[in-house]
Amino acid sequence: MPGLLEIHNLSKSFDTIKVIDDFSLEVVEGTLCCLVGPNGAGKTTTMDLITGRIKPTAGRVVFAGQDITGLDEHVIARAGIGRKFQVPAVLRDLTVRQNLTVAYSRQTNPFWNLFRFRAPGLDQKLDEIATLAGLTDRLNERAGILSHGETQWLEIGMVLMQEPRLMLMDEPIAGMTESEIEKTARIFRALRQTTTLIVVEHDMGFVREIADVVTVMHMGSLLARGSIQEIEANPRVRDVYLGEQEAA
Amino acid sequence: MGNLYHNKTAQWVAYAAFFAALAAIPLNIDDDFLLNQLATYGVYGMLALSISLCWGFGGILNLGQGIAFGLGAYGMAMTMQMQTQTESNPIPPFMLNNSLDYLPLLWQPFQSTMLGLILAVAVPTLFCAIFGGIMFRARVSGPFFAIMTLAMLSAFYTIILDRQPYTGGVNGITPPSPFQFAGIEVDPYSPLAYWCVFFALLIAAVLAKLITQSWFGLVTQAIRDDAERVRFLGYSVAGYETMIYTVAGLIASVAGCLWVMLVQYVSPAQLDVGFSLSMVIWAAIGGRLSLIGSIVGAFVIQGAQSYLGDTFLSTWLLILGAFFIVIVRFLPNGLSSLLEAALGLLSTRKNGASPEQSNGTKPVPAE
Amino acid sequence: MDFGSILNALILGISIASIWLIAALGLTIIYGAAGVINMAHGEFIMLGAYSSYMLQYYVGVPYLFCIPISFVIVALVGLVLERGLIQYLYKRPLDTLLATYGVSLVLMQGVRLIFGSDPKYLAVPEIFSSNLSLGFVSISTFRVIVFGITALLVLALWALFYKTRFGVQVRAVMQNKEMAASFGINSSRIYMLTFALGAGLAGVAGSLFGVLNIVLPTMGSSYVVQAFLMVVVGGGSLAGSVVASGVTGELQSVFAFFTNDTFARFVIFVLIVVFLRFRPQGLFAQAGARR
Repeated sequence: MPGLLEIHNLSKSFDTIKVIDDFSLEVVEGTLCCLVGPNGAGKTTTMDLITGRIKPTAGRVVFAGQDITGLDEHVIARAGIGRKFQVPAVLRDLTVRQNLTVAYSRQTNPFWNLFRFRAPGLDQKLDEIATLAGLTDRLNERAGILSHGETQWLEIGMVLMQEPRLMLMDEPIAGMTESEIEKTARIFRALRQTTTLIVVEHDMGFVREIADVVTVMHMGSLLARGSIQEIEANPRVRDVYLGEQEAA
Repeated sequence: MGNLYHNKTAQWVAYAAFFAALAAIPLNIDDDFLLNQLATYGVYGMLALSISLCWGFGGILNLGQGIAFGLGAYGMAMTMQMQTQTESNPIPPFMLNNSLDYLPLLWQPFQSTMLGLILAVAVPTLFCAIFGGIMFRARVSGPFFAIMTLAMLSAFYTIILDRQPYTGGVNGITPPSPFQFAGIEVDPYSPLAYWCVFFALLIAAVLAKLITQSWFGLVTQAIRDDAERVRFLGYSVAGYETMIYTVAGLIASVAGCLWVMLVQYVSPAQLDVGFSLSMVIWAAIGGRLSLIGSIVGAFVIQGAQSYLGDTFLSTWLLILGAFFIVIVRFLPNGLSSLLEAALGLLSTRKNGASPEQSNGTKPVPAE
Repeated sequence: MDFGSILNALILGISIASIWLIAALGLTIIYGAAGVINMAHGEFIMLGAYSSYMLQYYVGVPYLFCIPISFVIVALVGLVLERGLIQYLYKRPLDTLLATYGVSLVLMQGVRLIFGSDPKYLAVPEIFSSNLSLGFVSISTFRVIVFGITALLVLALWALFYKTRFGVQVRAVMQNKEMAASFGINSSRIYMLTFALGAGLAGVAGSLFGVLNIVLPTMGSSYVVQAFLMVVVGGGSLAGSVVASGVTGELQSVFAFFTNDTFARFVIFVLIVVFLRFRPQGLFAQAGARR
């Protein structure tokens, strides 16, 4: 079975510095892939390259059999890739309800939306996601006043409202409490039944709980790939994590 | 019941009351000259409305709304001018004065009133769609876009000034007789002219209001908040920005047509930088986030300006400038935000320390 | 067309360029350093012209001394404006644009109320009003003076920004305000001083333009859009504005040679819009690009 997302020999340079260097990755549909690596390994840059925020210098990104390399952000999003940012990006001046509503982007054409006032299935979906994210009581609050944990949840909720085939979650549990983390792990495991996820995370405990496959990046390239047990036993990964200075 | 200001039903009631009041005016006024003057304020109201839509809701500051207004006005003036030309005398006098002895290609479509009217609205609208499309696709935004509209406005101003044989140059075009449509003469000093403006303003306001409340309006507000984020939800930010900029341009071009109908005159002054900026001032003082607030802003400011007359013009503009500074500095959402605050105070007093919003009504931060 | 008239057009282009550049200099510094789009810049120019007029008419100061004194006067006006208004708006660029437009209205109407709408004239020493001719080329002496002063100012600004401690501080604040603050640079003071400096430069431009043209309360508005475009095309840096003014000045002159002045300006406006479509960051983008 071909991967839902295939990254072939991706490279990205800023000026003369190679941030991503010949990186390849394949994510199989219905799995949860964790992307780990030390700071500056290029994890967030990889997400930027997948979602079109920056254009690669070389290489290809193929999603569901379609080459999406270098397409505009909104085109890639429409193709079915949703993204949560590292620094939670919600629409702070809008209410929680409006945030979730606008993320329900079945119809994106400005002409059609000009005089459209409702969307089929919105209310049910919104209830469901708000309950899941624990934001039912906060729906009419401005998103700007939410706590950090709630903001994380709101953005995860927004990605869920999009119903993408592939979800990219950049550090979803940063700033969450222990019980919130557990809940996130539970939900991610449940999501795996219906969608595919790539999760960037530092917390190895969390990775251990959710990951089907772990991909380790180091200095913009693939370092190792395998199950969590294989990764934890991998001496090269240990070197990178424990003795970065010596390794470099 | 939450803040009445944010209540959609209350907003529509306010619209109904506002337009009922405007409709009552011609029934109570006998002074033709005053009625004509009030109708021109209606045109200014449309311009302020278009600025409010584009800048207040879309977050796109447009300092070149005079382009759409001016092109619309020129299109109408050309149509009206050609209505007075006959078979035997097909060339407008100012062209003859500029030793042009044939009707230029540019003018020929305007021999047909219908085609002329369509062009008067379609050309500026199309310009907005193309110019906006190009700019927004290049992700030009904020103050940068404002400067670009200013540059474009200056370009149009200069070319109209320069091509005297085709445009009348600095003198502009002065169609000698009122606009005729389907055998009816629209005397600018008649209630009929007032009603034309009234309905145009009504339609524009209702459409604008619906747009702000629609899904499009929601996306637009989201873009104003964080355009970058909205792209990742699958919306083409450039598409939405172009759309709202173009709709605003469409309203302004219709305003241009109506304006010439009322004053039978157009000149490059309608594309002057100062005029476009005064549209922004109307909307800013009235409240850029409130469509009606902007319209009222235009009424009051232009009303005061002509009431005070030319003798006090300098003093008036001085005070207006100072007031504008104060508004921008301390009350960025204009005078209507005072009303919002007052109603907010009222609702909290009534309900004690109740939550802001009631069941079901989606709060619209704007209006 | 002969060689002589083309050469004439090219030299006129340099002169036009220096006029546009000196109009844009103050704006460049204010926009480049603080990101403020100062719509009142044209009125600062106008104030410079009126300052010179007052100095000449009421005090009897010789023209050449009017120029530096106008610099000081308008710089003080700029200082007051920055402290009283602009410093509160740095985080709201669109509002700064609007507020400064309000300021421009106030200044224009204020001057009109005081001095009236009739034109004033600046007198210059006899020698300036003559013409210089070199072979084919003939140009008014005063335009040469304008060019000289512009070149001098550019040089002085370059030295100020790249050779002095103040310049280092300004550039530090431009790049990263927070970082600069941690090195003990008072960014609020830097903004204040650059704003005053920019205003003062407009004052100099005004005292020169008052001779080139007549002095009117509305004279500023004819310069402001063009000055903006120079700054935006240049990308907000000194070198950018120099190159932008140079190129557009020459183009203007050459187009005008083949058509006429007004049409040439139209072509320039359109070309600028097209250029900025493809290079929104301008000729020389600043580090830590600001839009």
